[in-house]
Amino acid sequence: MIDPFLIGVLSNIGMMSLLALSAYLLLLVGEVSFGQQAFFGVGAYAGGIATALWGCSLGVALLFAALMGAAAQLLVALPTLRLRGFYFSVATLAFAEAVRILFGLFHYRRDVDGRMMGPDGENGFRDVRYIYDHNMGGQDYMLIVWALVVAVLLIFMLLEFSRYGPRLRMIGEDDIMAGLNGIHVTRYKLATSVAAGALAGLSGGLYIHAVTYVEPGVFGMMLGVHTLAYGLIGGLGTALGPLIGVLIDIGFLESFHGLSQYRMVIFGGIVVLLLIFRPRGLLDEVLVNRLNRLFWRGR
Amino acid sequence: MFVDIVQNTIEGLAHGAAYGLIALGFTLMFGVMGRLNLAYGSIIMIGLYAGIFVQSRWHVHWMVVAGTVMACSVIAGIYVERLCFAPMRDGAAMASLVASFAIWMQLEEAAMLVLPRHSYPFPAPTDQVVIELGPFLLRGDHLVTLGTAALIMIILERLVQNSRFGLGLRAIAESPRAAGFVGQHVRRSLFLVFIIASMVGGVAGWLIASTNHQVSAMFGMWATYKGLVAAMLGGLGSMRGALAGGLLLGLVEAYSLWAFGPQIRDLSASLILFLLIVMRPGGLFGQKQAMLGAAARTRL
Repeated sequence: MIDPFLIGVLSNIGMMSLLALSAYLLLLVGEVSFGQQAFFGVGAYAGGIATALWGCSLGVALLFAALMGAAAQLLVALPTLRLRGFYFSVATLAFAEAVRILFGLFHYRRDVDGRMMGPDGENGFRDVRYIYDHNMGGQDYMLIVWALVVAVLLIFMLLEFSRYGPRLRMIGEDDIMAGLNGIHVTRYKLATSVAAGALAGLSGGLYIHAVTYVEPGVFGMMLGVHTLAYGLIGGLGTALGPLIGVLIDIGFLESFHGLSQYRMVIFGGIVVLLLIFRPRGLLDEVLVNRLNRLFWRGR
Repeated sequence: MFVDIVQNTIEGLAHGAAYGLIALGFTLMFGVMGRLNLAYGSIIMIGLYAGIFVQSRWHVHWMVVAGTVMACSVIAGIYVERLCFAPMRDGAAMASLVASFAIWMQLEEAAMLVLPRHSYPFPAPTDQVVIELGPFLLRGDHLVTLGTAALIMIILERLVQNSRFGLGLRAIAESPRAAGFVGQHVRRSLFLVFIIASMVGGVAGWLIASTNHQVSAMFGMWATYKGLVAAMLGGLGSMRGALAGGLLLGLVEAYSLWAFGPQIRDLSASLILFLLIVMRPGGLFGQKQAMLGAAARTRL
């Protein structure tokens, strides 16, 4: 039996990695989104409603959460895709704030087994006890989370080896040039947005079942800055980059008692220093390429 | 009904003047640098928290508090400029944006560590002055805010349009490299712009805090958000637009508060910002489209 605190930290790292990967995916195509936390929130509410109110199984709930996240992001992507640079960032920020306030007004109460359940405005959505009712331990849940993280990472690896990965990076580098080279930029950006929304929704769906409740304050701007920063710290060269960012933040800063109080103060400093000295993160494209060449040299 | 509408208009304009003041600082920085400083609200918040700290420790005169607010806003502004704007290479506007977003959260957390309560009382210079005009109520401090906003707008516009320094700033806004070639000290000018904007922010923060008689932990976020919406409503980079945008936002908020309640009021600012960017990114009075286009094309 592993220490429960460690299990909690590990599943937290897994869930935040999924969210960070969704922001990373958008960074690949050159869009800096300040609003991924909104789709995390949508996913959390959708997943919670599916298990607690509709009595679905966990798998269905997670699928529903991912779908709702994807749908919400598609809704935002359609009008904002033609925006560039900081316009896109501020638009996503505004949208995320609007979503947070809207969830504060969202009431959907139902009688489940003699108790009133469901989202209750500012009080949030409490008592989503699926994993406790089904006798899943924290350890089992952590394994589910990490299985999903590994699966997503594998998809990212396949993407990098296929022709689609380089195309996404090309759009991120210069979308006009990418368009001139015959890449359908809008289509790729829409697909990327949908995938990013699904990842954020999945992360939210996992989160609400792990901690049994969510309230609008959880997905405020503070979560947004972390989500975006994980990829920027870890590096944009590989999908492992966001994981490194999450490890530094949750594994190191949040889990040590003396440090957790100053977490955001240190974290903000790290982000800024990295933006100055390594604008594309620790594992940036140049380093990843160099490592790849070193690794494959003998074959 | 009619009385309500007029009274709400008065309230809206009064709050709008405060938004306009913050928007002036935003628009000044954006107009010259072509970069957005999301940490602006937290710069003001640091100044206000310093003022509260001094006030609660030594119970000083309100002038000293006002001075502290201004001075500490400027210090916080210098910190942000040195970290988020000075070291970023040319064209890396997105790096500055993300860095200022991170510093925003950092400053907010740091302020909460020093003064952890949710809200603190803030001293006003005089007792409440209320002017009665028939059935309508006008608050003296609101009038002062409105007057100060107009005054600062005129001073800033004079500075930018009619002085040698302003000519240099406009040259830098047009093209930093070309301005450097003809002998402008680009970095020094940007630094000065930042100090001026932080001072404007300090004045705005002090006026708002003493009108509300308190400062809450949400102030940084509130100021950044409202200032940004107001500045974008008027078109980023335009001084008159900033003030007009502030007044407009104030009116919209006052009416939606009156009609639908506080949560819808908060929602309306976010929705306005989102719809504005999607439909009219250049602002309602859209100008300087070319410059905005160049700023929008930069990437990380």
